[in-house]
Amino acid sequence: MWQRFKKDFNRFFSYAVFSARSDLKAEVASSYLNWLWWILDPLLFMLVYTFIAVIVFKSKIQYFPVFVFVGLTLWNFFNRTVLSSVKMVRNNSAIVSKVYIPKYILVLQKLMVNGFKMLISFVLVFVMMLIYRVPLSPKILYIIPILFVMVCLTFGLGCIVLHFGVFIDDLYNVTQVLLRLVFYMSGIFYSIGDRVEEPYKSILLKCNPVSMLIESARMSMLYDLTPYRKMIVLWGIVAVALVIVGIRTIYKYENSYVKVM
Amino acid sequence: MNQEIAIEVKDLHISYKCLKSFSIKRSLLQMKKTQSTVFEAVRGVSFTVPKGEILGIVGKNGSGKSTMLRAIAGIFSADEGIIDLHGNSVSLLSIGVGFQRELTGRENIVLSGMLLGFTEEQVHEKMDEIIEFANLGEFIDMPVKTYSSGMHSKLAFSITAILEADIMLIDEVLSVGDTRFKKKSYNKMKELISNKDRTVIIVSHVSETLQELCTNVLWLHDGQVKMIGAPEDVLPVYEEFMS
Repeated sequence: MWQRFKKDFNRFFSYAVFSARSDLKAEVASSYLNWLWWILDPLLFMLVYTFIAVIVFKSKIQYFPVFVFVGLTLWNFFNRTVLSSVKMVRNNSAIVSKVYIPKYILVLQKLMVNGFKMLISFVLVFVMMLIYRVPLSPKILYIIPILFVMVCLTFGLGCIVLHFGVFIDDLYNVTQVLLRLVFYMSGIFYSIGDRVEEPYKSILLKCNPVSMLIESARMSMLYDLTPYRKMIVLWGIVAVALVIVGIRTIYKYENSYVKVM
Repeated sequence: MNQEIAIEVKDLHISYKCLKSFSIKRSLLQMKKTQSTVFEAVRGVSFTVPKGEILGIVGKNGSGKSTMLRAIAGIFSADEGIIDLHGNSVSLLSIGVGFQRELTGRENIVLSGMLLGFTEEQVHEKMDEIIEFANLGEFIDMPVKTYSSGMHSKLAFSITAILEADIMLIDEVLSVGDTRFKKKSYNKMKELISNKDRTVIIVSHVSETLQELCTNVLWLHDGQVKMIGAPEDVLPVYEEFMS
């Protein structure tokens, strides 16, 4: 499988890059305000959550708007990619039924599109860190392994969800609900550490990779703390395993996808 | 002509079985098991196509022609049997190749080309030729969703016709666009086909076309080979059978 993966990856990687670039370009071209939405969307949601957390729940978290923004940035990337993977084959039926393409390339393409938006969002995070005078520390470099695990996790889950999405018609609805659950369990607009009692606190932080990664990102970027290094490595291994399982599953069954549609 | 074999199909079986997608809602509401229906589209087809040959495939609707073409193109998996292309590149030319509707014609050319296995540079080299052949005017820089169906097929045809693959699979594409483009594409088709190194499989219902273009004709009936041989032999029998 490794040989085949290497060959296919070399052949289709440039396709994924070009396709992702065109997608982004098309999004900008179709409406001049569209790229503004890449920035406005997390910014406005940040305001919403800040309102709820600060006014309603009287949250006292330091740099709260930046805190929310980091969470939303990572969450949006994960959420959008996984959710769009469910209907990936169906939405690309025009391509899938005309030429052979390893189906995980479609996930990769979406990953790049959303990854680019995440980068823009991160630029905004840095701008906000400047505005809020968050002291920079070298611990911020932990964001690199954190992002790596996030990308692997998203890609692996995307591939697996893509596979089942072909065969199960209403997986989209189910995934939507599940993702919403994960959203609330990930402490995007509250701190799991402060708000949740044991034993649920450790469960949420250790068993939910999204909340662990988001929490780690905040610790290293905003609060000059060492993130959960062991958990990052552990979940990193799981994420890579998910990628392997996902690609393997797709290779095994992808040729029957067209027959289902 | 050398007798090198380009396509080898051996005892090919393709069926659509138990692959109905199911929904969680439906399986909860109907407790009884849904029967999985098996439909065998292609049952035990074997043939070889030597390099440079043009094989025509005829048969009534639903006899497994398109299914087989897609299997040769690598889109379908064969349930049984072997398809060996001996390392040749293959492209399936059919009405309305998949385009990304939001993107311009130009970008779609690059995307389709890359999907067919060409590099971005190779596509760019051929870009002008494709655009000229498609003859879409300023529409080439507009999103594909604004195209009429004729323009859509013209672009699709031009891409696959100009970006040449070793093996071309043609699925009833010979009638694309308006009369003028039809003539042009037909001539281009003939030019492509007449290349001695290119192996072609054409699926068509028009006997005259096959008579003129093909060196061999395969008649598929209900997923099985009914007859294979020279066009003069097969086509009259087929015509008689169909009438």
